[in-house]
Amino acid sequence: MTSQDGAMKDPGERSQRIELKIPSQLLYLGVPDAILMELAGDLPCDQKDIDEISTSVIEACTNAMEHGNGMDEQRQVEIHFDIAKDEIAITVLDHGPGFDHKGWIPPEDLLRERGRGITIMREFTDELDFDFAADGRFRVCLRKHLQRRE
Amino acid sequence: MKIKERIRDGVVILELSGKLMGGPDAATFNDTLKTLLHEGYRNMLVDLSRINWVNSTGLGILISGYSTVKKGGGDLKLLNVSDRIESIFMVSKLHTVFVSFSDEEEGIRSFA
Repeated sequence: MTSQDGAMKDPGERSQRIELKIPSQLLYLGVPDAILMELAGDLPCDQKDIDEISTSVIEACTNAMEHGNGMDEQRQVEIHFDIAKDEIAITVLDHGPGFDHKGWIPPEDLLRERGRGITIMREFTDELDFDFAADGRFRVCLRKHLQRRE
Repeated sequence: MKIKERIRDGVVILELSGKLMGGPDAATFNDTLKTLLHEGYRNMLVDLSRINWVNSTGLGILISGYSTVKKGGGDLKLLNVSDRIESIFMVSKLHTVFVSFSDEEEGIRSFA
């Protein structure tokens, strides 16, 4: 794996990296989804796995745009996809102050209109980490093990 | 997101298409529901078959719409929820809030 600062482990043999930068505008949230859907047909895994990691990345990018970059269109969200046959590892970087999700507890009110993004990312990934990259950007690392398609 | 309305047996079927992700869509959807309530419609069936994906702010749009219709004395149910969106409802427990159908006739009859 080609992570510059070694924050993420090798996701598996022959991993390939795709790097993407998108402006902080909601209309671009579909771009990382489109990339993963394009790759889905060539990966020997269930569509469910791709749906779940893609939904998680959309959540990470939504947070990066809204809370990290303050919807400033001039500030970009950077996304790294590290693709291997048995695992997808994705890093999302923004320019915000960040936060620690570990102590975060989802509110109980089912009719609340916000506050489900962390829950979705936790449930749909095998590893979820929040920290800062060496250049000071806030970083979300998501990892999904792929179940081999029967 | 685009919204297309049609009415069958007094039930408003709102066909959403595109991405359900917050932003200006929230006000558009809520305004549509408020207008329908003002016109006297109470039963809303929201068809998600043409929605590509939903994020957590998109879920907020559906919840806001549900609350608006409930406060207006009506009910909002869902139609054609994909496996991908259903799994998001499950992990966020929203399957306990929204009643959903895969058959339009069944959905319409449920309001009787």
